[in-house]
Amino acid sequence: MGEPGHGEITELLLAWSGGEASALDKLVPLVYAELRRLAHRYMWHERADHTLQTSELINEAYLRLVDASRVNWQDRAHFLAVSAQAMRRVLVEYARSRGSQRRGAGMQRLPLSAAVNVHARQSPDLVKLDEALTALAGEHPRRAQAIELRFFGGLSVEETAAVLLVSEDTVWRDWRLARIWLLRSMSRSRSSERGAHAG
Amino acid sequence: MPDSERERRLEELHSAALQRDASERDEFLRQACGDDAELRRAVESLLGYEQELDGFLEVPALQTATLDAMAQERPLVGQMLGLYRLVEPIGSGGMGEVWLAEQKQPVRRRVAIKLIKAGMDTREVVARFESERRAVALMEHPNIAKVFEAGATPQGRPYFVMEYVAGIPIKEYCDQHRMALRERLELFVHVCEGVQHAHQKAIIHRDLKPTNILVEEVDGKPVPRIIDFGLAKATAQPLTAETLFTRAGAIVGTPAYMSPEQAGSTGADIDTRTDVYSLGVVLYELLAGALPLDFHQLAFDEILRRVREEEAPRPSTKLRTLGERSGTVAQNRGCDPPTLARQLRGDLDAIALKALEKERSRRYATPMELAADIGRYLRHEPVMAHPASGAYRARKYIRRHRMGVAVAAGLVAVLVSFGAAQTLQLRRTLIERDRANRERDRATRVAAFMTGMFNVSDPSAARGNSITAREILDKASKEIDAGLSEDPELQAQMMQTMGDVYESLGLYSQAQTLLTRAVDIRRRVLGPRNPDTLTSMSGLGQVLQVQDHYADAEKLDRETLGAQRRVLGPEHPDTLKSMHNLGIILEIEGRWPESESLDREALDIALRVLGPEHPGTLRSLENLGIVVNCEGRYDEAQKLLREALDIALRVLGPEHPDTLRVMLELVHALDDEGRHAEAEKLDREALDIALRVLGPEHPETLRSVTVLARILNEEGRCAEAEKLDGETLDIQRSVLGPEHRGTLESMRNLANDFAGEGRYAEAEKLQRETMNIDRRVLGPEHPLTALSTYNIGCILAGKGNRDDAFPLLREAVDHGLSPGYDLAIEKDPNLQSLHGDPRFAALVAYTKERAAAALKPK
Repeated sequence: MGEPGHGEITELLLAWSGGEASALDKLVPLVYAELRRLAHRYMWHERADHTLQTSELINEAYLRLVDASRVNWQDRAHFLAVSAQAMRRVLVEYARSRGSQRRGAGMQRLPLSAAVNVHARQSPDLVKLDEALTALAGEHPRRAQAIELRFFGGLSVEETAAVLLVSEDTVWRDWRLARIWLLRSMSRSRSSERGAHAG
Repeated sequence: MPDSERERRLEELHSAALQRDASERDEFLRQACGDDAELRRAVESLLGYEQELDGFLEVPALQTATLDAMAQERPLVGQMLGLYRLVEPIGSGGMGEVWLAEQKQPVRRRVAIKLIKAGMDTREVVARFESERRAVALMEHPNIAKVFEAGATPQGRPYFVMEYVAGIPIKEYCDQHRMALRERLELFVHVCEGVQHAHQKAIIHRDLKPTNILVEEVDGKPVPRIIDFGLAKATAQPLTAETLFTRAGAIVGTPAYMSPEQAGSTGADIDTRTDVYSLGVVLYELLAGALPLDFHQLAFDEILRRVREEEAPRPSTKLRTLGERSGTVAQNRGCDPPTLARQLRGDLDAIALKALEKERSRRYATPMELAADIGRYLRHEPVMAHPASGAYRARKYIRRHRMGVAVAAGLVAVLVSFGAAQTLQLRRTLIERDRANRERDRATRVAAFMTGMFNVSDPSAARGNSITAREILDKASKEIDAGLSEDPELQAQMMQTMGDVYESLGLYSQAQTLLTRAVDIRRRVLGPRNPDTLTSMSGLGQVLQVQDHYADAEKLDRETLGAQRRVLGPEHPDTLKSMHNLGIILEIEGRWPESESLDREALDIALRVLGPEHPGTLRSLENLGIVVNCEGRYDEAQKLLREALDIALRVLGPEHPDTLRVMLELVHALDDEGRHAEAEKLDREALDIALRVLGPEHPETLRSVTVLARILNEEGRCAEAEKLDGETLDIQRSVLGPEHRGTLESMRNLANDFAGEGRYAEAEKLQRETMNIDRRVLGPEHPLTALSTYNIGCILAGKGNRDDAFPLLREAVDHGLSPGYDLAIEKDPNLQSLHGDPRFAALVAYTKERAAAALKPK
C-alpha cells in the first residue's frame, strides 16, 4: 500500500472532527499502519542512534500524516486519541508475538542509573492488560480511554484532559480509579490462573 | 440507579479521604459513613491500593518496551569500548543511552557509559569535553559522580565514561520514600555542597535537573550524587528551535530548569548563579511537587519569554492550584495538603523564590548561600531570603573619590562606576500586594513592558543604544504624568522603574527628577514609614551620591536610616545597607571619624545578625577598611581589607566579581601607602582572574586595568600606563559607546598619561575633547566636567602657560569640583610649577573656603 499523503489523512481527520463518524473507520488503519511502521523501525533498530519517547513517535507520525496548517488543536487532540489507540494495538501485538510472559524477573535485575525515565517497577503483561482494559471500557469507557491515552499514547495529564474534554482533576481521578480497577481485575485473573495450575 | 449512585458516593469519599492526613481520615470516614459499615469498608479497600498503585502504568508502555528490545536484540551487548565491556542498557534520555559496563584492567569496576546519539560533531564534542576534563577530574566530592573519560565509538558516536551510580532520580526517591520536607531539605543541602565544590573548581554544570541528581543508598542512608558534570558544555548546542524541539515538535530540551539568562542570550553569559537557578527549580519541585512555570503546548519563543519574565508563584500558592493532585503531593511528603501549605508558607516560600530570581544579582550568589539559608530554616533561625522591601540593590560599583592622605596626582581621582547596579527590578511588591487580579496584572504587564523594551540589565548591552533608549524614556516620562495620574501608587512605581533605567544609562539628573517624584508620591500616598517609600528614598540617596550632591544625599540617608531603624528595626538588612551608604558618604565628604564609627557599628550588627561569612559583613569590613585607610592607619586598613578578602575568597570564591572588588580596594590601600610594587602585583592577579572569568570587556576587568594604569602612572611609568589606558579606551569606545562615563574616564586617564610623558599637545587635545562631551552630556556644573576643566588647567600649568591655567582652575572649582580637592590642589605635582605664584595661594584658600561651605548641610 502506498504511503498516504498529507492530503488524505488530513481530510479524514477534519471530516471526523466535523462529525463524520465513518471517517474514523478509514482513519484508524492508516494511522495504525504508520505508527506500526515507525515503532517497528525504532524497536528493531534500523535507526540505531535514535532514542525513543512515545510522544516523539506520535508527533513524528502526526507531522508526516497531517497537514498541520489546516488542523486546529482539537483535531490534533483527536489525532492523539487515534494514535494512542493505534499504539496500543502495535505494542500488544508486539508483546503477543514475542510470547511475552510477565517481565518480572528480567526487569527487576536492572539497576537504575543515569538519565533514566523508568521506574524500577515491573512492567505489566501487556496482553493481560489489554484484555482487562477492554473489560474496563465496557463499564467505564472514559476511564479506559484515560489509560489508553496516558499509558499507550504517552500523553500528559493536560493533553489527556484536552482530548477527553474534561478537567485535569477529573483525569487524575479517572486515572487513579482506572488503575485500581485494573489492578483488581488483573490480580483476580492471576489467582484464577494459579488455581488452574494447582487443579 | 441506586447502584451507580452508591458507586459515585464511594468514589467521592475515596477522593476526599485521600486529601486528608492519615490521622484525620478515620474521623472523617466515621462522620461521612455513619452507620454504613459496608460503605466504609469499600472506601478503605480502595484506599488500600495506594501503595500498589505506585509506579503502576506510570511510565508509558513504549519506553519499557524499548529497553527490553534494546537489552535483547542490541548488537552492542558484550561489545568492547576501550577498556570497557558493555553489559546492558540501563536507561535512555534526550541525548543518548546509558549503558552499564565493566572494566577489568587496570582495575575491576563497574562504570556507566553514556553514548551520545550520532548527529553531533564527535570531534568537537570530545574536544570540548577535553578542555574541561582536567578540571572535572579534579573534582572529588561525595555528592558528585566522577566522569572519567570521553571517547568515540568506531561508528563515530561520542561517549563518556562515568562513575556508576546505583540510584534513582531525587524526585522519585523522595516521593517513593514519602520523605517529609525536613528530610528532603537535608538531602538537598548535600546537593548544594556538591555543586559548590564544582564551582570552586570552576566547573558550572549548566544542566542541573532531577534526572541528573541520583540518590544512592549507602549504609542505608540516602546520598545524592550529581551526574553529568562537564558534559553540558561539551555537548552544548546552540539554542535554536531545532535543538529545543525534535523535528517532531515535542520538547526534549529541559526548558523547565533553564535559567533566565540561558533563555535570554546566546547562552554565553553563564556563571555560577545559573546553577543556583536550576537548583532553585529542583528545590521548588521537591517542596511543592510541581514545576514553577508551565510550558506545555507553547511555541519556542513563548517558552523562552516565560523563563525570562514570568514570575513563579510561591510554592504554597502553587500547591493550592494543583487541585486533586495536591493530595498526592502531600502524601508523598507524609502529610496532608493544609499542613503542607502551612509548612511551605513563609521561609520556604521565600528561599525557593530567591533562588529563582530572574536577575542573577538578586539570587543567592552561590549554592552554599542557598544551603546556608536552608540550614537556618532547619535550625529555626531567621532566614535571609525575604524579599527586600527596602533598598536592595547590588551596588557593586559604587563611585568613590579616592582621598587617601597621599593623594595621587588628583587628576585620576575618580573611579567611576562603569555600569551601575542591576536596574530594572520587577518589583515583587507589586505582585504580592493584595489587589484585585486585574490591577495586579496591569501593573505587572506595564512594568514587564518597560523591562522588555529596554533590557538594559547589562551595561555592555547599552552600547550605542543609549540614545534610542533615552528617547523612548524621555517620551515615556512625559506621558507618565498624563496617563497614570489616577493611580498614584502605580505612577510612583513607574517613576521608580524609569528612574532606575536612567540611572543605569548614567543619566543621573533625569534619574534624580523621577526618583524624587517617586519619593514624594510615596511619602504622600503610602506614608513616610512604608517600606516602599524607604526603598525609593534609599535609591534616591544613592543617585544623589553618585552625582556628588553629598549634602543632600547625607540628609536624605540620615532620614531614611532613622525611619528604617524605627520601622524595620536596627538590625534589619536594609537598615544595615543604609548605614553602609551613609558611611560611604561621610567618608567621601572627608568626615572620617564619623564614618568610621558608623561603619564599626554596622560591622558589629552584621557580625551579630548576618554572621561572619555573609556578603553584608563583607561589605562592612570593606567600608571600614577604606575609611581607616583614609585616616592614614594603613596597617589596620590592610588588615581589615585582607580579612574581607579572605571571607570573599571563602564564601564567594576567587572568581566572584565582589571578590575582585575587594581585591581592588586592597590594591588602593597598598597604593596609597606607597607600596606600589605590592599593589601592582595584587592588581595584576586580580586582572588575571578577571580576564579569565569575566572576559576582557567586563567592567570589573576594565576597572582592574584602569587601576593598574593609575599605579603605573604614579610610579612614573607613564608609557606603560598609556598603553593600558589606550587599550581600555578602545574597548570602551566600542562596547560602551563614545559618550559613556566609563569611556570618558579612560579618556581623562589617557590624557594624564600623555601629560606625564610630556606630550602636552596630545594631552590637551584629548582632555578638551572630553570636557566638551562632559559639558554637553553632563552639564557645565557637573563634577566630572569640572574635573576635565581642572585637568586642562593642569596641562597648561605643566606647559608653563600660567595665565591660561589659573582661570580654568578657578572655573573648575567654581563649577562643581568636588569637595576635598583643596587637598588635591595643594599637593598635586602637576601644579608644582604654580607654587610661589600668589595666584596659587589665593586659589588654594578659595578652594578651602568653598569646600568648607559645601559640607554644611543646606
